[in-house]
Amino acid sequence: MDTSNPAVFVNAELLHFYVGRRVRAVMQVIRSDGGAVIGKSTDEKQLVVKGSPPSVPFTNFVEVIGIVDNEKCIRAETWTNFGDAIDMFSYNKLCQLANGEFKHLFL
Amino acid sequence: MYSTSQFDGNAAFSGGGFMPSQATQATDSSSFSRNRDAQSLLPLTVKQINDAFQSSDDKTNLIIDGVDVNNVTLVGRVCNKAGRITDVTFVLDDGTGRIECNKWLQEAVDSNEVDGILDGMYVRLHGHLKGFQGKRSLNVFSFRPVTDFNEIASHFIDCVYVHLYNSKIRLQAGVPNQQHVTNSTPITPTKGYQAYAVPPNQFSGQPNNSQFTSQPKNAPKSVEDMVLDILHLPKNRSRDEGVPRDLIAQHLGIPMDKLMSLSSLTSLLKLSKILKFIDSFRFCRLAIKNLIEEGNIYEAIADHYKSIING
Repeated sequence: MDTSNPAVFVNAELLHFYVGRRVRAVMQVIRSDGGAVIGKSTDEKQLVVKGSPPSVPFTNFVEVIGIVDNEKCIRAETWTNFGDAIDMFSYNKLCQLANGEFKHLFL
Repeated sequence: MYSTSQFDGNAAFSGGGFMPSQATQATDSSSFSRNRDAQSLLPLTVKQINDAFQSSDDKTNLIIDGVDVNNVTLVGRVCNKAGRITDVTFVLDDGTGRIECNKWLQEAVDSNEVDGILDGMYVRLHGHLKGFQGKRSLNVFSFRPVTDFNEIASHFIDCVYVHLYNSKIRLQAGVPNQQHVTNSTPITPTKGYQAYAVPPNQFSGQPNNSQFTSQPKNAPKSVEDMVLDILHLPKNRSRDEGVPRDLIAQHLGIPMDKLMSLSSLTSLLKLSKILKFIDSFRFCRLAIKNLIEEGNIYEAIADHYKSIING
């Protein structure tokens, strides 16, 4: 068992806490823009994701796991298609719980 | 029926398989609930398992939030899958940590299930935690791919809920004069923890250190009502000069989450734009302003307020 390299649930406003660390975020894909994918985070802010996208086309919602570059940008290691319907509100609430009162269950 | 005659896993499975051994030891009056606890399926994060493992000296029995851990359910990504003829091993990464898993393949259907699962896929696992040669690993009964990805958020919210339930509500149950009476209802085996809705204020977490905690919470009070309550306190009624604004704010001690839940928040925010001050007391000041406008209170001397009731 190893808990040394977690991927924290984050939304856009939590990104700046984790610069240089591994996170996971769900976003709604808006457009691909020359090597970067622009998406809308669960808290409805703009998110830039760099790194080579997967060979399969994106669904509406995508989860990225990667290292935080800066407060707006994630360098993705893993992309997972989450389908075309995700409850972003609940996911955002989970981000808040996982970074707040119940952080000890996650980090 | 299940609820009238407790299912004895020990008899049914001759103590073998994954049935918890605790079932045989539960002979006291609490055997009913112990039995249920022992058979429960806990949604957990790897972090919780790891923490419990690190902090416990007893390497055979794992306890999380006061509950014996036997069968668990996890959701995460499969890594390093290695299939053999008799079993398959892989590492499950649920984002909070990684745990080694093992599944024995007994029948063709097992092999088919396993073949469909590839590295990088999200899966829902059901399994049994066991220690072997000082290492914790998960003996998997079933794993299947996640198809609705809401299941991931749902699982972790479930973990939070069960943690809250086991660490707070379950311990409170049975204590008389509970504030949350609904939670101390005896639990029947046919319903699990799932059947118990937690009052929303259970989740507000931070203890409210204002004096209003003792009041019924079924109807959230507005800041305006709280200000009036403060002005109506006997010691404040007797102040001829009124109650200083700073004292009202200090009394309020309103936690942010309470403020955020106010239905009047939007209107308060609109008002705040036209007000010059931006400080930590602005909600208090707004409430006072509203109350003055409604004629409920008045300014006695500068920054001191009184209610019309005791005026």
